[in-house]
Amino acid sequence: MALLPLPDPSPTAALVRSSVLISQGAEAKVYRTTLHTGGGPVLLKYRFSKQYRHATLDATLTRARVAGEARALVRCLRCGVSVPGLRFVDVANGALGIEWVDGKSVRSLLGSGDEGERYREEDEDIAPAEDEDLFVGYKVPKDALMVMVGTEIAKMHLADIIHGDLTTSNMMLRHPSSTMNPLGVHQLVLIDFGLAYTSTLAEDKAVDLYVLERAFASTHPESEPLFSSVLDAYKRKMGKEWPAIGRKLEDVRLRGRKRSMVG
Amino acid sequence: MPTRSPLKRPDRPYLALGLEGSANKLGAGVIRHEIDGSSTVLSNVRHTYITPPGEGFLPRDTAVHHRQWALKVIEDAVTTSGVGMHDLDCICYTKGPGMGAPLQSVALVARTLSLLFDKPLVGVNHCVGHIEMGREITGARNPVVLYVSGGNTQVIAYSRQCYRIFGETLDIAVGNCLDRFARVINLSNDPSPGYNIEQEAKKGKRLIPLPYATKGMDVSLSGILTATEALTHDKRYRPDDPPESGAEEDYFTSADLCFSLQETIFAMLVEITERAMAHIGSKEVLIVGGVGCNMRLQEMMAIMAEERGGTVFATDERFCIDNGIMIAQAGLLSYRMGFQTPITKSTCTQRFRTDEVHVAWRA
Repeated sequence: MALLPLPDPSPTAALVRSSVLISQGAEAKVYRTTLHTGGGPVLLKYRFSKQYRHATLDATLTRARVAGEARALVRCLRCGVSVPGLRFVDVANGALGIEWVDGKSVRSLLGSGDEGERYREEDEDIAPAEDEDLFVGYKVPKDALMVMVGTEIAKMHLADIIHGDLTTSNMMLRHPSSTMNPLGVHQLVLIDFGLAYTSTLAEDKAVDLYVLERAFASTHPESEPLFSSVLDAYKRKMGKEWPAIGRKLEDVRLRGRKRSMVG
Repeated sequence: MPTRSPLKRPDRPYLALGLEGSANKLGAGVIRHEIDGSSTVLSNVRHTYITPPGEGFLPRDTAVHHRQWALKVIEDAVTTSGVGMHDLDCICYTKGPGMGAPLQSVALVARTLSLLFDKPLVGVNHCVGHIEMGREITGARNPVVLYVSGGNTQVIAYSRQCYRIFGETLDIAVGNCLDRFARVINLSNDPSPGYNIEQEAKKGKRLIPLPYATKGMDVSLSGILTATEALTHDKRYRPDDPPESGAEEDYFTSADLCFSLQETIFAMLVEITERAMAHIGSKEVLIVGGVGCNMRLQEMMAIMAEERGGTVFATDERFCIDNGIMIAQAGLLSYRMGFQTPITKSTCTQRFRTDEVHVAWRA
């Protein structure tokens, strides 16, 4: 079944048509576009309607997720969590414009070794050939990278935002020479807040961490100890909030279905 | 496939008998692996323990059913296959996961046959059985697998000689959710509650809002079951369409609830499967397990796959619903790699995760 085009008079539709498709993730199509002449690149995330699900259900989910994503981004920005800036929102048409981040996903930096690297969810690097030597700029020790991951997630959780889909594909390391990064230091950016929501519960934060733990285990089979350095950095940043979350994390780990429970 | 399979072409045809009884289905089947690498299903016999409407199957009664039917079902399977017990290379049985008592009954039968005919035993993981049978029947090479049945709900992908679980249910299985709702509205368990829900859902028209609970690549289903059950106590609920109702009248029927339940949970399942496909970069998806027979689920999955330029593989009830042949298939694959279960270790276990199995026969 062909995807239904957006209603024509919508300016968003025109924008989508004039943009360059970068990738199709599970949730959305991602385009690179510009909003006005001379403006920097903008990442356009267009949640096309999913033909497989009931139209009413689809519309409800799309609307809730676009609005939720925009809200989470704004809240993160306000609390100093490093996320891409928000450029425009069109809830009715399922489109969201966010700042273009120049960089690479943590997943590709860690090198999962699995096939299909090209299909990463939210893809970013359409690296031109001359970028080869620029890649050297990313040479961050794995441990330092893991510390950045843990710290950034902790900042987000301290702001009571739950990401909902923490994977190594959903974090990017901003390229040090990027114009948006005047400090010239490495900056880790959390992306794809499509499943994010607000919660103060230790339970929800623990589930968020658990999702990431599982993502590490399933994507980087050889690098499971890396997750413990993420967790260490997270603990340090969370301070007195940690013990409650830590206890919940233990519970959540045991809860997964039919996990080997002895006894 | 990029690298060659470690499984060598057989130098002669291999034969295996598979015995399955982890839930309310007792199955036996004989498979033959041919010299050219293909396989032939020689027989596939099944008998299902069916309980009255409104009741589920209890472990003890299910075990009794399996003990009563074991000889008949196995005899049927062997007779139909046209080979003798002495021609077999090995006897495969379900080691787990599943219900304890039924598993033990079948393991006991397998052990007895092994001693009687002096044949090696191979203990098989039920989930891996489903996956291998699905791959064999459909010819899918390296698919993302959605395994949905009465006891399991998992999104699985192969990686480094292991079937890794990418997402799964955090509480009850999807088949369990559907079956229990079928009991609430008193649907028959014959041929299966899930099948009857599917038929009811075809009559449903109104989509009643239900919770939608995906967490990353996992889903949670128990809250949806509770919410749907609660709706049967709602004052707008009518078991059937009132004979003369105005179109504007605000009500919903059990068919509408079945419809809404299916639409919601299948949308969740397709969503997590799609997320796994995007994550791994796979274009193939294989649906296995009893709920995999559901035509609506297959249809939704096919639309999703098509949108992604991929393909969906599914089988029919002979291979989707628990059966003996899938145990024979997975068992024979590991037997050909040199794996056997010594009689002293021929136990069964209720908890046996898919990712604990060393998939030696794949590259």
